[in-house]
Amino acid sequence: MDFNYVIAMLLVALGLYCLLLKRNLIKIIIGLAVLTDGIHLFLISLGYRAGGTAAIVSGEMFLDLPGFAAHAVDPIPQALVLTSIVINICILALALSLAIYAYRHYKTLNPSKMRRLRG
Amino acid sequence: MAGAFLTPLVDVLAKRMNHPRARDYFALAVTVGTLLLVVDMATSVLGGDILVYKLGGWAPPLGINLAVDGLGLLVGLIVAGISTLVVIYSFVFMRQESGLGQYYTLMLLLTAGMMGVAFTGDIFNLYVFFEIMAISSYALVAFRRSKISIEGAIKYLIVGSLGTSFILLGIALLYGSTGTLNIADIASKLAVINTTSGSTPLISIIALTLFVVGFGIKVGMIPFHAWLPDAYQAAPSPISAIMAGGTAIVGVGALLRVSYFIFGAPMVGPLLIGLGLVTMVLGAFMALVQRDLKRLLAYSGISQMGYILLSIGLGTALGITGGLFHMLNNAVYKSLLFLAVGAIIYRVKTSRIDELGGLGRKMPITAGIFLVGALALAGMPPFNGFASKLTIFLAGIDAGYPILSGIAAIISVVTLAYMIRAFIAVFLGPQTGRFENVKEAPRSMLFPMMVLAAVCVVLGVLPQLGFSAVEPAQEVLLNPSSYIGEVIPGA
Repeated sequence: MDFNYVIAMLLVALGLYCLLLKRNLIKIIIGLAVLTDGIHLFLISLGYRAGGTAAIVSGEMFLDLPGFAAHAVDPIPQALVLTSIVINICILALALSLAIYAYRHYKTLNPSKMRRLRG
Repeated sequence: MAGAFLTPLVDVLAKRMNHPRARDYFALAVTVGTLLLVVDMATSVLGGDILVYKLGGWAPPLGINLAVDGLGLLVGLIVAGISTLVVIYSFVFMRQESGLGQYYTLMLLLTAGMMGVAFTGDIFNLYVFFEIMAISSYALVAFRRSKISIEGAIKYLIVGSLGTSFILLGIALLYGSTGTLNIADIASKLAVINTTSGSTPLISIIALTLFVVGFGIKVGMIPFHAWLPDAYQAAPSPISAIMAGGTAIVGVGALLRVSYFIFGAPMVGPLLIGLGLVTMVLGAFMALVQRDLKRLLAYSGISQMGYILLSIGLGTALGITGGLFHMLNNAVYKSLLFLAVGAIIYRVKTSRIDELGGLGRKMPITAGIFLVGALALAGMPPFNGFASKLTIFLAGIDAGYPILSGIAAIISVVTLAYMIRAFIAVFLGPQTGRFENVKEAPRSMLFPMMVLAAVCVVLGVLPQLGFSAVEPAQEVLLNPSSYIGEVIPGA
């Protein structure tokens, strides 16, 4: 359980490192993906319960709702993570397409060499 | 009422490339409809009400809800007004571009995202709408696919998504400590946690820091500002206008909502004052040395954000009123100036100050409008900037920080200096032969600028109007418990 949080924070730290210090657009974008995945892992671990049941109520489970609630995992983080994954796919797709355009224009993926804008 | 921001989303799908002009008018109709809905809500919200709309009929804190309070309404009003004017402006300005279907689609998405951030009562939806807004603005900056627009968009995208990731992490931490996502509910639960433990837990301080950094990136606070001038310079001018007048304001609104509602003024105030001061001073001095008009405006926008944060950070009623009023004014004249520069670019095809000169005789109306915007920005008496800056100075003295007021006044002079320099360089002076055939900007571009200029003058002559618009927002920020009670009855 705690292990999850450690890994999540490691992923966030790695992603940040990649994002801030790498000098290649593709690596920066990978860093972004790793960073958000770390956050997702963190969110999903918040709602995790070892050996819990899925948070779907059906049939005779209605008879024992408090008992069900005591066993079920928290569904909200799962919904959040799903939403967030979709959003991040959009961002990654946009970022990669921009990287392609950037490579066409500048013939390099090093962002510090893209220096048309200054001041 | 929920249609205020759902319509663009739904209708974006319905309209693809049907008829070239129909698309333009459709976009206009949607933004005007949004504006009318917001104005309609304004009457009841300004009366002190808070409108709560429960999506799907689930009562908060379990369900997702929209809550329109004074702050949300102020931001929503600015956003709806400016996006309507920008759509009108885009008719002519963007006519030669290809892919206008995508352009208007993204524009409506951007508006929808901004309205959503303004009105949502749920912190995770705030994040989702923030991302909608962010993604469409990245795409709009890159719209021309030229060298500089790709470069600006990449910088914006990387820094911006770093910011939104921080916001998401902050939300995760808050959810972990309170177990709820409703803003009002989080606020009341955190208050309980603070009183039982006797101090603020470390986790909320970390979350607050993440939020300030995340929203600060969007607003363009100084340590996180590097993307902003590039993106504003690279974007088409109407987009720069909507970003300066809309997105930045939405960022401030979201920052205030999260920080003041959830964490309370005493905790956030000093932080905002410090960041605001640095932002204000450095932004103004960087604007002083710019050689490109749009870049100059971008830096001055950063500097004005500093005023807003500084004033709101004071935490007194007067300070918050001044800051919010300045936020309103800044949105008006900053988008006005970007639109005026857009008119110059439309006719002359450049925005470099060195290359421009003597345009005043060829484009007298644009020159006049630019002058109105510039003087309002610098805080000269007959215009709206004067009223709000004066309020900020008074608030600084009132709160016991006369030094802050002094610095703000000096920076105001610097602002006047660089705006006048830009005006003289662009509109006065000898005419260069290159601009022999330059004509006045087309009428449908002048109209939105004139409306904004008129607002500048009206708010300057009758500042009470502006004060009454920001009053409910200020009350909500100072006293969030009424908001909490309204959203969750019995909390």
